Amino acid sequence: MAKKYGMIHDNNLCIGCQACSIACRSENEIPESVYRLQVWVKEEEYPNGTIGYEYHRQSCVQCENTPCVGVCPTKASHITEEGIVLVDVDLCVGCLYCVAACPYQARYVHPVTKAPDKCTFCHDTRLARGEEPACVTVCPTDALIFGDLNDPKSKINQALSSRVTYREKEKLGTNPKMFIVPNHKGGINS
Amino acid sequence: MTQMLSRRGFLKLSSTAAAVASLSSIPGTLGAMEESQKHYKGNAKFTPSICEMCTSSCTIEARVEDGKGVFIRGNPADKGRGGKVCARGGSGFNQLYDPQRLVHPIMRVGERGEGKWKVVSWDEAYTFIAKKLDEIKQKHGAHTVAFTARSGWNKTWFHNLAQAYGSPNLFGHEATCPLAYDLAMDDIFENGVSRDFAKAKYIINPSHNVFEGIVISYARQYMEALEHGAKVISLDPRLSTMAAKASEWHPIRPGHDLPFVLAFIHTLINENLYNKKFVEKYCEGFDELKASVAEYTPEKMALECDISADTIKRMAREFAKAAPKAIFDFCHRVTLTPQELELRRAIMMCNVLVGAVEQEGGYYLNKGAGFYNKFLGEGDAKAPVLKKPKIPAYPKVEFPRIDRIGEKDSEFFLAKKGNGIVTLIPKATLEDLPGVPYRLHGWFIARNNPVMTQTNTETVIKAIKAMDLVVVMDIQVSDTAWYADIVLPDTTYLERDEEFNAGGGKNPSYDVGRQKVVEPIGESRPGWRVAKELAEKMGLSAYFPYKDIEDYRLQQVGDNIDLLAKLKATGMASFGVPLLLQDKKSVAEFVKKYPSAASKVNEEGTIDFPHKIKLFSPELETVSKKGALSYEPYKYKEADELYFINGKSAVRTNGHNGNNLWLNNLCDDAAVWIHPKTAERLGIKNGDKIEVSNKYATQKGKALVTKGVREDTVFAYFGFGHISKELKRAYGKGVNSNTLYSPLVSPNSGMNLHVVGVKVKKA
Repeated sequence: MAKKYGMIHDNNLCIGCQACSIACRSENEIPESVYRLQVWVKEEEYPNGTIGYEYHRQSCVQCENTPCVGVCPTKASHITEEGIVLVDVDLCVGCLYCVAACPYQARYVHPVTKAPDKCTFCHDTRLARGEEPACVTVCPTDALIFGDLNDPKSKINQALSSRVTYREKEKLGTNPKMFIVPNHKGGINS
Repeated sequence: MTQMLSRRGFLKLSSTAAAVASLSSIPGTLGAMEESQKHYKGNAKFTPSICEMCTSSCTIEARVEDGKGVFIRGNPADKGRGGKVCARGGSGFNQLYDPQRLVHPIMRVGERGEGKWKVVSWDEAYTFIAKKLDEIKQKHGAHTVAFTARSGWNKTWFHNLAQAYGSPNLFGHEATCPLAYDLAMDDIFENGVSRDFAKAKYIINPSHNVFEGIVISYARQYMEALEHGAKVISLDPRLSTMAAKASEWHPIRPGHDLPFVLAFIHTLINENLYNKKFVEKYCEGFDELKASVAEYTPEKMALECDISADTIKRMAREFAKAAPKAIFDFCHRVTLTPQELELRRAIMMCNVLVGAVEQEGGYYLNKGAGFYNKFLGEGDAKAPVLKKPKIPAYPKVEFPRIDRIGEKDSEFFLAKKGNGIVTLIPKATLEDLPGVPYRLHGWFIARNNPVMTQTNTETVIKAIKAMDLVVVMDIQVSDTAWYADIVLPDTTYLERDEEFNAGGGKNPSYDVGRQKVVEPIGESRPGWRVAKELAEKMGLSAYFPYKDIEDYRLQQVGDNIDLLAKLKATGMASFGVPLLLQDKKSVAEFVKKYPSAASKVNEEGTIDFPHKIKLFSPELETVSKKGALSYEPYKYKEADELYFINGKSAVRTNGHNGNNLWLNNLCDDAAVWIHPKTAERLGIKNGDKIEVSNKYATQKGKALVTKGVREDTVFAYFGFGHISKELKRAYGKGVNSNTLYSPLVSPNSGMNLHVVGVKVKKA
């Protein structure tokens, strides 16, 4: 069976240090004005009166039911057998339907190619070399877990079976492959 | 109508201004180099090295990718750091190829701080410096020139040069950072100590923000402890990332950690929570300690630190119960107070009192080769000790150092010569210090940025302007270089080899220092070369008995070529097995590996401490009558002022990486954190432009209204508000904390004070 890649972002372990964001920039040569990945840190007041920080990973969530692919008139936006959503620059006509369709605001227009671009789980760089995505390899507190959802023994499946996770905007039915472990301080114990 | 300008006029003016700005761009930078001269030659394979984007010195490896860029990652061979790297570490590439980076020596042609420079050759630079140093020597004496260099960066080379020249005034950066806790551990343990965070069950953390001022190994260990269900208590006036992750956050009153710790010790002793057996067997000075904390009841101290007496007592009980897997973190910076030495000593004593020393999950003594070998008998191989090339005796100096370290009646006598109280340099330049029969006339600064890192910036600049000679070696025109006479272009950490280092955690370890990944760009030269070449120019080459860094390293390892090869290939090496003297299992493993150590094991199956642990300091008592612990209230602010404190950001640290493109783009402002109630009282809204002022300075900034700070306190990240106009991305952006701080130098430790009173108003 083909691999199906997914990722977990653990809000408890994330410290908002932006190591992932910089590693992504470095590995994928992202121009300065845009980004594939950032971590947004937000102050939160919890029901028990304490305050803390929530960490939101802002990047492509690699939907299975992909609004961006569905609206693409030229099949430039496509999904690989391994479940990674990519853009073929040569096929792109720059209509930006995909940018508008993405409910996660994950796409940007590359200032040089003028085609939409986004997180690819380091498809062309890291995965091609048999390595994990750059963000995963650098994370100082191991807040990111990457792996094959089709392999029952993979680290990601082990983590998914032992922790409470959710996905952003699940009700849209996009079926993202980016899972989030919520902050324990938010009142959910996993 | 001079105030009014037409749009056309404005455009004309601003384009002129832009033209001036680009013209004022100094010569000698990478950006000024011809494209054809930019040949970046490097190693395509991963080379193990050590990061230099902050001072944590994490292990990394880096390679040149297709001749276009450099990719940096953590060294996977380093298990403690898990092969990880933070945002600052990942951004090192920018430093290397920054167009604002200096790649030629430059000499000042205008007034100091005017920003007018000319490019000179290295030979011209050496001739100029040698001549000036000679003039000062003739006129005032060589002792009037201070030499400051960062630890592990350039200290070996420039302190050697200083002493060959004839100055005893050697300094590192320690007095602005770790000096107080280094002195405290030397006094109490006669050795360095570390913390076994990962295995601890209970940790008290007074503002040691390891999740922002990131040391990768600490961040990982703290997270591991939290994952295992350890209770972590954060005492911090603001909600740092550490405070947010902790089990409990107690916003302690800024600068009042010491009363908390004294009440904590009071509880441990008065409620008999301490480990009597451990204290009797291994410590001295307990009675003096008991007497000294008698008056510091939790009830009394609660009023000072603003944490209730019941909470202090509860924590002391929980801490004692969790011992020996308990750590009272002695921290890194905290909110530096006038009683730094007392604070750090008091914190360390908490761990001693409950016997959480040399045990899993507690403190452990750092075991470098010399210390580790003490526990090995005859017949077993000893840990290798790195050697130093044989340097001839330095000329004798008749004058005392400005901090009078080494003299019995000096208040700073505990400090080591190589540290020095760098915070005293401005004072020693502008005023007569007691017992110092001279003032300073020159300052040689290698990779240190006192204008940015010392408090009361105005005085630092005034002192620099009063000097006859100021030399700065750096990779960019730092805030200090901005006022220098001559600036020498250093190599970045990716372009130079360094000496090997030896250290020790639970067992001896060695590392390669730094290794070259790319050839130095332009005319930049590493410290070892500059010091040696300058010495040659000054007729002092006998003091540099090595050909180059490779020769120096060979002399360090002697005939241990295996060690040399291992360090170069993997970046690190260690000797023996981990040893915790009070852990029976660890001692058994140690004896199994080294049968000769059996003779050192006591009847309990552990190993006795080689020195008594001191709960009272006879040395400090002699010098300053401060052998016991004490608390002297200090007035940080006026009644109508707010406390101002600072801390580290995860994406920018210290004075030297604020101009980094990627890091600056992630965070270019140190907003001032202000509590909603305080903001409302002052009529300030989130994002408003504000003015922060006191008698030392006025800073303009932006307000960040948040409940993550005490009502009586404002906070900002430090390393912002750069003063050098050549740091074009970072210049003037954000509040510069050090301009607001007082020039007070803490007694005995020489530390700066990092709490001050300020008034805040809408700008």
